[in-house]
Amino acid sequence: MSTALTFTTSRRPDGAVVLTATGEVDMSNAGAFATALAGARQTAADTPFVVDLTAVEYLDSAGLSVLFPHVEHLHLIANPLLAPVLTIAGLDDVTTISE
Amino acid sequence: MSEDVFAAGDDVGRDLAAVDWAATPLGPPEQWPQSLRTSVSILLSSRFPMWMAWGPQLTFFCNAAYRRDTLGQKYPWALGRPASDVWAEIWGDIGPRIDTVLAAGEATWDEALLLFLERSGYTEESYHTFSYSPLRDDDGALVGMLCVVSEETERVIGERRMATLRDLGSDPSAVRTESQMLAFAGAQLGHNRRDLPFTLTYLLDDGAARLAATTGIDAGHPIAAHAWPAAQLARGESVLVPLTGDLPAGDLPTGDWAEPPREALLLPLLQQGGAPYGFLVAAINRFRELDEAYRGFLTLVAGHVAAGVASARNYEAQQRRAEELTELDRAKTAFFSNISHEFRTPLTLIMGPAEELHSRTDIRDEGVRADLDVIHRNGLRLGKLVNTLLDFSRIEAGRMQAGFEPVDLSATTTELASVFRSAIERAGLAFEVDCPPLAQPVHLDREMWEKVVLNLLSNALKFTFTGTVRVAVRADGDRAVVTVTDTGIGVPADEMPRLFERFHRIENARSRSNEGSGIGLALVKELVELNGGTITADSTVGAGTTFVIRLPFGAGHLPAGGGTTGVSATADPYVQEALRWVPGAAEEAPEVVAPATGARVLIADDNADMRDYLTRLLRSAGHRVEAVGDGQAALESARAQNPDLVVSDVMMPRLGGLELVAALRADPRTAGTPVLLLSARAGQEAAIEGLEAGADDYLVKPFSAAELLARVRANVELARLRNHHARWRTALIDSLQEAFFVCDDDGAIIEMNSTFADILGYGPEGLPYVPVHPWWPDPAADPEGYQQVTGAFGMLIEQSRGTYTIPVIHRDGHRLWVAAAFNKVADPETGRHVIVGTFRDVTAEHYAVQRESALAVLSVRLSQAESLTGALQGVLVTLRELWQATQVCAVVFGDADSPAVVTTDPELSWDDLSAARRQELATLREKPLLTSVAEQAGGAGIALEHPDGTMVLFVELAENRPFTEQDQTLLALLAGHLGQGLNRIHQIDQQRETALALQRAILGPAELPAGFAVRYAPATRPLKVGGDWYDTVTLPDGRIGIVVGDCVGHGLQAATVMGQLRSACRALLLQTADPAQTLTALDRFAVRLPGATCATVFCGVLDPATGDLAYSSAGHPPAVVTHADGTAVLLDQGRSRPLGVRSRTDRPAAHYAVPARATLLLYTDGLVERRRQPLTAGIDRVTTAVQQGRDDTLEELADDVMDGMAPAGGYDDDVALLLYRHPGPLELDFPAEPTRLAPVRSALRGWLARCGIDPSVAQNILVAAGEACANAIEHGHRHRPAGTVRLQAAATADDVHLTITDRGLWRTPQPADNPHRGRGLNLMRALMTEVTVTTGTAGTIVGLQARIPR
Repeated sequence: MSTALTFTTSRRPDGAVVLTATGEVDMSNAGAFATALAGARQTAADTPFVVDLTAVEYLDSAGLSVLFPHVEHLHLIANPLLAPVLTIAGLDDVTTISE
Repeated sequence: MSEDVFAAGDDVGRDLAAVDWAATPLGPPEQWPQSLRTSVSILLSSRFPMWMAWGPQLTFFCNAAYRRDTLGQKYPWALGRPASDVWAEIWGDIGPRIDTVLAAGEATWDEALLLFLERSGYTEESYHTFSYSPLRDDDGALVGMLCVVSEETERVIGERRMATLRDLGSDPSAVRTESQMLAFAGAQLGHNRRDLPFTLTYLLDDGAARLAATTGIDAGHPIAAHAWPAAQLARGESVLVPLTGDLPAGDLPTGDWAEPPREALLLPLLQQGGAPYGFLVAAINRFRELDEAYRGFLTLVAGHVAAGVASARNYEAQQRRAEELTELDRAKTAFFSNISHEFRTPLTLIMGPAEELHSRTDIRDEGVRADLDVIHRNGLRLGKLVNTLLDFSRIEAGRMQAGFEPVDLSATTTELASVFRSAIERAGLAFEVDCPPLAQPVHLDREMWEKVVLNLLSNALKFTFTGTVRVAVRADGDRAVVTVTDTGIGVPADEMPRLFERFHRIENARSRSNEGSGIGLALVKELVELNGGTITADSTVGAGTTFVIRLPFGAGHLPAGGGTTGVSATADPYVQEALRWVPGAAEEAPEVVAPATGARVLIADDNADMRDYLTRLLRSAGHRVEAVGDGQAALESARAQNPDLVVSDVMMPRLGGLELVAALRADPRTAGTPVLLLSARAGQEAAIEGLEAGADDYLVKPFSAAELLARVRANVELARLRNHHARWRTALIDSLQEAFFVCDDDGAIIEMNSTFADILGYGPEGLPYVPVHPWWPDPAADPEGYQQVTGAFGMLIEQSRGTYTIPVIHRDGHRLWVAAAFNKVADPETGRHVIVGTFRDVTAEHYAVQRESALAVLSVRLSQAESLTGALQGVLVTLRELWQATQVCAVVFGDADSPAVVTTDPELSWDDLSAARRQELATLREKPLLTSVAEQAGGAGIALEHPDGTMVLFVELAENRPFTEQDQTLLALLAGHLGQGLNRIHQIDQQRETALALQRAILGPAELPAGFAVRYAPATRPLKVGGDWYDTVTLPDGRIGIVVGDCVGHGLQAATVMGQLRSACRALLLQTADPAQTLTALDRFAVRLPGATCATVFCGVLDPATGDLAYSSAGHPPAVVTHADGTAVLLDQGRSRPLGVRSRTDRPAAHYAVPARATLLLYTDGLVERRRQPLTAGIDRVTTAVQQGRDDTLEELADDVMDGMAPAGGYDDDVALLLYRHPGPLELDFPAEPTRLAPVRSALRGWLARCGIDPSVAQNILVAAGEACANAIEHGHRHRPAGTVRLQAAATADDVHLTITDRGLWRTPQPADNPHRGRGLNLMRALMTEVTVTTGTAGTIVGLQARIPR
């Protein structure tokens, strides 16, 4: 059984596609996260693509590694707990930390 | 069995075996403990006197040496009896010592203790040097004592008597009056009131006894007036008189004793060749038998007193004689000066017939002819002297009749000189006569001129030893000049002005003869001046002397007168006299074989006739005579021949008589040789001078043959008397048990007694022994011994008295210890300082001391040891030091395949030993136990019992070091103790094994819950158990019961109580889960358990999840909680009384919430309690220690606290310590599967929260740990699918430490291969304070550390 992680994809009024993840991301479910990212990305096509990690309590390098292929297209929203990891990974310029 | 015990004892062993032991408290020997058997066999096998006492009645044992030296008639009665019966008479002295030994276990040492023994049928004064050492039974309890003793009675008493005799002979002034002498002797005798409780000295005046001196008794005591058996004494016999019965004894003085003497020995004061001077009454010490030694001592004392009386009376007689001689001299001088001319007639009447007899051919007897020659020569000489004296008196009276005539000075002088030619040439000198004819004659009195020339030539010959004598005549203006030149000794410049003074002689001038009156040159000058001339002298010391006579030509200056021609008879006496000075002269006095009874007499006189005369005279009296011409020759001869008497002239060339005496006295070989001086110089001063120089007698010329012979006889007899004393002295010194020696101030041994030779093997034949003495230890083989001897030698030379003990080497090579005492004294005969010393062989005592100290050291080593091997190692080091051995090894032949070896050298095994050594050891193993075996090749071994089997102990000595009999005894003794000691340690070992097992069983939980650290230090060694304990017990609800307690007392006893309390407490906690209830229930338990009341206990129940601690304390010191920020809190609530102490209230409980990362400390008072310090001081100190260590791991902290709190000498009380840090560490083991990551994270998150770490820091830790776990899972996937991963986390006050361990191989990040893995490591490094990765074949360990912000 993989670590609990759920996704929802929605479109914001401004047209941006938002992938909202809930749970924890580690090597056990990084594959699922990658699939979800790829699906949402496809949906977004050329419109802005936002990955909302506010409800993700844990993200490690396995999760980061599936974010990197999309780094030029996506924007991240994350809670402060993930800030150090995202900063260290060099993703802080595409990240908005929600308060 | 019983035979074995006594097997070593021979006779004593048999007699011991015959004792009915069953009737003694010791029981039959079969039942004796090993320690007693060992002691008995050591005792019996020793050659040193020993006895021992064992058991409740101190049953008596002894060995053969003790029987012989000390026990006497008490043998064999004494064997097996209580020691207090055996030595009842001295129990008052030795009983308390034995009590001391038995009470304190310490050895005693007494040196030369005076004991009154009843072993010889009377109460006997005796001296013993002995040591009592404790004996222990197999359990180490004190059960008896061993006494090693040496009997010193003879030594002590011999020394005491010797001291008295030495003091008697130490009178510093050579000559004293009789009363002074008696006072001095009395003072010396009075110092020894043990051998001489009192003495009375009587002198006989005309047969009546007169009390002259007393010691130790009042002169008015009634016994002093007793009529002693004078007749017997007058016959020179000693008489033993009982001091009882009808004697007017009164209360007799007791001397140094408690009881008065019972007998007195009366000894005559013997006079050589006469009735005794008197007698000595010497009271006898009632505690000593009047044996030969005692009698000899008293005889010598009497001899000393007699000699003193003789000497004093001699001195007085000498003084009278000197006064008479002075008077005689005065008369003689007057006689000579008045009537010397009267000699001429009798001289003529002697000389005439003598010459006539001499010329008779019918007298062929060589002896008669020799006598006639002597008469003739000495008649001539006397005539010459008389004529010279008469010339003077004529000159002085103005009656000198000179007959002047014209003389051919050259011819006359040549003629005169020629008569001296043969004498001068026989003396080995060149003789030059250079007298060319003069143009005119010289007017002079021919007879006077002859005297002038003959005197000058005689003088030249006398003082010239090599070179030339020259006579020359010249004309010089109106004078003729005659010079007489020699190459002789010359005249010192300061003597020149007095050269022509009448009777002036140059002292100490080297000459062919010391004959001469000192008037020759004076006469020459008078005669030259009578002839109108002058004489001068010119001289250089060492080069020669020239006399110059100037005589005017012509007769204007002279009265007219007739004369004679030709060399007159005047010349004959001069030449005859001169010829006697030179070698080859008629000295061949016939050898007469002296009868054996005669003395050997050495004559020294420069006058050949006197020499011959004395020789004939003394030979005719039966003496063996050697004659020499001067003092130097006499000295050499005396040194070589050691004559009985030296008869010497005072005035002699080279070495005069007085100097000869001084030289003889200065040489120890001749210091005692009597010297009789002969001299023409009369007068008291001269006599005193001679006697002060050390001459024994003094005879003034002229002397009669009878007088000389009488003096010679007297001196020879006196010398023999003196030798008689000397022989007595030698005999006494030889009979001393002590070695005696005299050495000069250079340290050369010049005299010794037979004991000296016995002890060292170097006899008097090798005297003198100059340092370095041959008995000194070899500096190479025994540097320490050599050092000691050189030190002692320095003391001997530099100090005036002292004692020392040194090792020396006997001539046969064995090593001894001697104790010497010495005194620097002035030799009464020579005045030189010599060192007189005695020494005795203290080898036995030295080794006794060595034995005692070795045993003491051994005992200490054994008592300190905690194991058999440890004990052996310590003992081997001790043995190596004791013998300065190169190596000491112990080999135990046990059950193992190869024998176990312990050595003083780095680890050696049996196989490392040489085959020869292995063989030696195996041989020793088969020898009887406890019997030393000295090996040829520098070492010794002994077999003894070791708990594991037979053990062989081997001492390997440096090359050439002998292993002496004493060494063997010592080794046996030590081995005996070692065997017992090892046995004891073995028992203790077993006890300790048991105790350790017990301790492991009861001390604490086998496994502690996580988060705890404990320490335990018992005070009692070697058993490592005590009354303190700690315990943790996990309760059914997951909480943890914590107990720290302290029972009263230490050691095994306390440990058993502790074990039961601990178990009870554990059970009660499990049941109640409540500290106060547990303690209440434990109270009830404790009152029924002996030794359990008053135990203190801290009991708590901790919830490891929350840190909540419920606790209650039964009189226990408060627990300490140290917060992460350093704040310390004492858990001093919930307190009540110690266990089993009644209380009216229930035991209270208290709660405390232990905060995150706080450290809880529980302990027993041994950790903090110190003498003279309040308990709070200790608690403060331990609190500080925990504060400082709050960031250390719990184990480190436990070590630091135990070390930091320990007193300098280690803990003297049991200490238990328990530490807990909240929360306990997290430990997770999980399969290496990705799906396990989330639950692990969840658990870690919860633990971090319990650690009080804020969520953001916790998140970082979670990510870092997650990365490490992910890595581990990857390794597991790749290599070991079934692997597990372990995560451990622990917190200190400021840090969190995590360790992630897997069984796989770490992969060095390969970014191209798997970029996000490298990212994982980077993440860890970025998030953590410290990251370590350790990869080995067994797996990988990742260490993470994060600082917790305050």
